[in-house]
Amino acid sequence: MQGLLSLLRKLRTAPEKELRLLLLGLDNAGKTTILKMLASEDITNVTPTAGFNIKSVNSEGFKLNVWDIGGQRKIRPYWKNYFENTDVLIYVVDSADKKRLEETGIELYELLSDDKLQDVPLLVYANKQDIPESLSASELAQTLGLPTIKDRSWQIQACTAIQGVGVREGMEWVCKNIKKK
Amino acid sequence: MNFSFWWIVTYYFRSAVKWFLRKTTGLCELQRICYGEIRGPQRTHAIERSLSLSKHKHIQQLILQLNDISGKEEFLGSQKKQVLHDAVRAVLLAKQINPRIHRQFVINMGQCIEHIWGYKQLISEVERLRTTQYDCDNIEHETQLYNLWRMLKPDEELEGRITKQWQNIGFQGEDPKTDFRGMGLLGLENLVFFATFYCSAAQHVLTHSYHPQHGYCFAIVGINLTSLAWTLLKEGCAKSYVYNNIENEISLKMFHHFYCYLFYEFDRFWMECRPKDIMEFSNIKSKFEYNIRNYLKDPNNDFRIGVTVHNI
Repeated sequence: MQGLLSLLRKLRTAPEKELRLLLLGLDNAGKTTILKMLASEDITNVTPTAGFNIKSVNSEGFKLNVWDIGGQRKIRPYWKNYFENTDVLIYVVDSADKKRLEETGIELYELLSDDKLQDVPLLVYANKQDIPESLSASELAQTLGLPTIKDRSWQIQACTAIQGVGVREGMEWVCKNIKKK
Repeated sequence: MNFSFWWIVTYYFRSAVKWFLRKTTGLCELQRICYGEIRGPQRTHAIERSLSLSKHKHIQQLILQLNDISGKEEFLGSQKKQVLHDAVRAVLLAKQINPRIHRQFVINMGQCIEHIWGYKQLISEVERLRTTQYDCDNIEHETQLYNLWRMLKPDEELEGRITKQWQNIGFQGEDPKTDFRGMGLLGLENLVFFATFYCSAAQHVLTHSYHPQHGYCFAIVGINLTSLAWTLLKEGCAKSYVYNNIENEISLKMFHHFYCYLFYEFDRFWMECRPKDIMEFSNIKSKFEYNIRNYLKDPNNDFRIGVTVHNI
């Protein structure tokens, strides 16, 4: 059934390019809020993600299939099941959660060293900029060691997902990056 | 085609049909419903529909007033009695019904109004709790969180407020406070009610959540089910559940009972599906939601948690 569906999809003349975006990050980083923001849905009733959510959004001539996978420790071992055919990796960080910066850094580097995610462009959302004690995007980039990444294009984007600030700018980078390819 | 035909009939010819029936039976639509439909969801639904379609100015005003009172959560206690009395009087006057001849109508209409606006008030009450964020500086919130632990894990002491033990009852990390998110205090109160009122059922479900293959995170799934219960309430799908409870006053407790029913049934459905792992959650939850929505459509269905559970 699955095979037939994908065959049919390939046969259909695609008017727009489909992209697979993977949203990852620790629990409570704001992945589902960003996903709902992209789909223009109500963000006031977000619940912790058990498993994953998926939504398709049209943006700048692309059909973006966004996969939002739960971030809690118990679910992280399943992340790798969703790596295949990923076009862009979006990593969300709670910039105010200083206690877990190390943890989020370790998880990110584990992702970047995976073969299936080789050469996949990386967008990091430095979320929750509205909280006064949060790290700025450049501080976060330094802390996570992003400037040392040489094997792929990457970008860090400051955002406040609950207000919708910065989310679109990040997606513009995603679409621009794909067009260049 | 069928739908549009009936839409035209109800929209354009409703008044004509109503006029005809009024002349032949000598009763207005509200009376015909109150005498013709059996007590419960069918009657309340029909009254609600009739009132909402009414073109009578006084009835429309009455609806606005009752909406306002229930929205402010003032449809309570002695005030509720007075409001009900006044509301029924307004209907009697508007429809020129003699209360001495139609005593049963007065009683039935009062019950329907109580149910319709009790439900609307419940939505406001639930919404107020949902939008109250969990606050770890609020002693009442913290006490409820500790109560949840005590009810679910009576034999295990918490080592501290911030501890990995919270994961044993299905929270994501060391501090549950960030897990309530958009469901706020409602998510916590739902869980506490389930663990307290249906103690053995909650223990039964918690045991399932530890299953080596089909296990899941009890609290997180619980909070997602709060979201489902809230959605069904807000959209009006839970009306058949609430209107069926004719013996009980509509209160927050009723919403908690509805939630417990959903949690218990979800757990049963989940175990029946034999999922490979937690990643099947959204899929199975969608199927469950579809089934529940269908089940709620039939007002004759029973929504009690399985009787056997109480004795486990």
